[in-house]
Amino acid sequence: MERPIFHPVGTPVEELDTPALVIDLDVMDKNIQTFQGYFAATVAKARPVVTSHLCPQIARRQLDAGGTVGGIAVTTLGEAEAFAGAGFSDILLANQIVTVSKIRRLCVLASQTSIGIAVDNPDNAERLSSGAVEAGVELWVLIEIDAGMGRCGISAGVEAMKLAQRIDGLPGLKLEGIMGTVPGPKGDDDLAQHEAKTKENLQIVLDSKDALKRAGLSIEVVSVGGTHCYAQAVRMPGVTEVRAGRYPLMDHRLKSFLPELNPAAKILASVISHPIDGMAVLDAGHKATAPDQGRPVLEGIEGGNATRFSAEHGIVELEGDAQKQLNAGDKAWLIPYELGASVNQYDYFRAAKNGKLEGFWPISARGMLA
Amino acid sequence: MTDHYRPTPGTPMEDLDTPCLIIDMDDLDNNMDVIANTYAGTSAKLRGHAKNHKTPAIAHRQIRRGGTVGGVCAAKVSEAEVMVHGGISSVFITSEIIELMKIDRLCSLADQAEMLVACDQAANARDISRAAQARGVEVGVVIELETGLARCGVRDVDQGVALAKEIASLPGLRFRGVMSHQTIPDMPDREDRAVEAARTIKGVIDLKDAIESEGIPMDIVSTGETWSYDVAAEIPGVTEIQGGSYLMMETHYSYMTEFHYAGKILTTIISTPNPGIAIGDAGVRAVSSLSGMPTVFDRPGVTVGNMDSDHSVFKVESGASLVVGDQVLLIPAQQDAMVSRWDRFIGLRGGKVEVVWDIQARGCHN
Repeated sequence: MERPIFHPVGTPVEELDTPALVIDLDVMDKNIQTFQGYFAATVAKARPVVTSHLCPQIARRQLDAGGTVGGIAVTTLGEAEAFAGAGFSDILLANQIVTVSKIRRLCVLASQTSIGIAVDNPDNAERLSSGAVEAGVELWVLIEIDAGMGRCGISAGVEAMKLAQRIDGLPGLKLEGIMGTVPGPKGDDDLAQHEAKTKENLQIVLDSKDALKRAGLSIEVVSVGGTHCYAQAVRMPGVTEVRAGRYPLMDHRLKSFLPELNPAAKILASVISHPIDGMAVLDAGHKATAPDQGRPVLEGIEGGNATRFSAEHGIVELEGDAQKQLNAGDKAWLIPYELGASVNQYDYFRAAKNGKLEGFWPISARGMLA
Repeated sequence: MTDHYRPTPGTPMEDLDTPCLIIDMDDLDNNMDVIANTYAGTSAKLRGHAKNHKTPAIAHRQIRRGGTVGGVCAAKVSEAEVMVHGGISSVFITSEIIELMKIDRLCSLADQAEMLVACDQAANARDISRAAQARGVEVGVVIELETGLARCGVRDVDQGVALAKEIASLPGLRFRGVMSHQTIPDMPDREDRAVEAARTIKGVIDLKDAIESEGIPMDIVSTGETWSYDVAAEIPGVTEIQGGSYLMMETHYSYMTEFHYAGKILTTIISTPNPGIAIGDAGVRAVSSLSGMPTVFDRPGVTVGNMDSDHSVFKVESGASLVVGDQVLLIPAQQDAMVSRWDRFIGLRGGKVEVVWDIQARGCHN
């Protein structure tokens, strides 16, 4: 567990013990309003993917803000259990659950709340069906189509059709629809090219829906993800929900693609050494930032760049006037490159408003990877 | 927050819910015994780094098996708290502790255990001195010398001597010695490692000599790491070796075959959408990619293609096979970032659960 110093409410955030993962609530609320506001007048609604923040308090704010389907999506069974425990009642586990032990856990959960599950394999569907029948519950099922990720998901076309027809007859399962996850932009992807590719990928899911419907199957839900493709997805008739996780807190990776949203979660670090003019050392290293998919970005210091993260230390290179800044004891702000990875290293968000602490918000589903 | 998964002893590996972090106990004991044997007859001993395992039970186990100074290193004050509260009697924090709030916590620990801390700046030494006096405790201070990491540390002998004089004059502080830490590229040959260790460690030995020639005594020269654990102990003057990676092991040190891969991620295949690929339920959130992608353990023909947050994509060569439900073990390129994602180790011996250890200092970033 993190062992934070629980400062009093009202403490200026820059006085917090570091490293600390801090949310600016005003920025977060504005992101939620901007993003979910987009769904106010559309047929498609948002389904918040809570894996990005793992925090029930934030999920509650998302559902309260309107524009959603009224439920959430998670990535792991442990996350589903944590959020069901926090009172959420419409949970899509947008992943495959295959082992006997986990299918049992899933069905116990389904006896307490409404649980949907992604399926991409007929044998797995049989096992889920047996588990559900044994437990006396019903799971709703989305067939996962590979929409360009090259990951889980059955190929669109004949295979998807066979799977849907198989699931349609299985007791304990209710075929509700289909889902696909569309690859997000990376690094310096060209925006126009990325959008063209995204449209093709979304069309794979919609074509599958049409084919299944023509075969007489009931497909109520067409669920696509994630945050980056929302503006395109809501314009494509047939999409009923957009799974999106990153928009409330944002990160550097998506920032240039979605300028209407702003980073709300940042890591506050302290300088522990400024041994030479051109370098400062921060107390936030790899463990406190998780730069697995990209380095966090130093904010607000012209001429300062965070360039290296070893296990315990972050290195900032300083040029020009910046060499006079970031002395030992000074604070620095880092914007996560990949939000979910950074969040996963903390047990609490320090929630702040106008630069003052509002409270410690538990990241309740942290570490629930199984 | 902590997850609740705690399999009972005797549970076979095949029944574990995944992903999970496992330790093979035979391998762990082997790695601890290599340390115990290496330092059985040397004056230098290991001060094992707790940042790698973050678990008092593991720290105590190495101390019991031998080869250590009887204490541990920690990277953070909060990590040191967990070790002291877990019954470790001597902790060396190998990072600079700057913020007054943290210095006060350090001094509070000094009332409960022997505490040492790294220092590279005089203002910081004065802050620690003031806080130690206020609490009526003594904090041991070790000067960090930069020897190639381009990170913290005084930059030369003159800076080090000046800082030693300052520390030696300050009430509440006890000047204990000098430290350095260095990394090297892969260097399988022991002779090469000995030459490299002698070259990099010469810096702290020179600093030690210069400080002692000013009439300031010291009892600690702390240096070394897993790559130099054997050769650093042969350098006269070195009293303590900082090592941690050897415990779980990582592919980065694959050439050190005396150490076994003890720490691994157990993952399950959840989808086989196309021939030649299989999808596992562990992604970078479970393994980390510091120093590179993890490696598949003991499954010929299966390699890690890529990983995203919660999935890994395995490449399966013709002749090899993976079906939904199969388990795969991953060994990390760098183990302590991997450990930092987990709340507990599941210790297995002979493929069955023997022990479950809480990683009590997981998340101790502050």
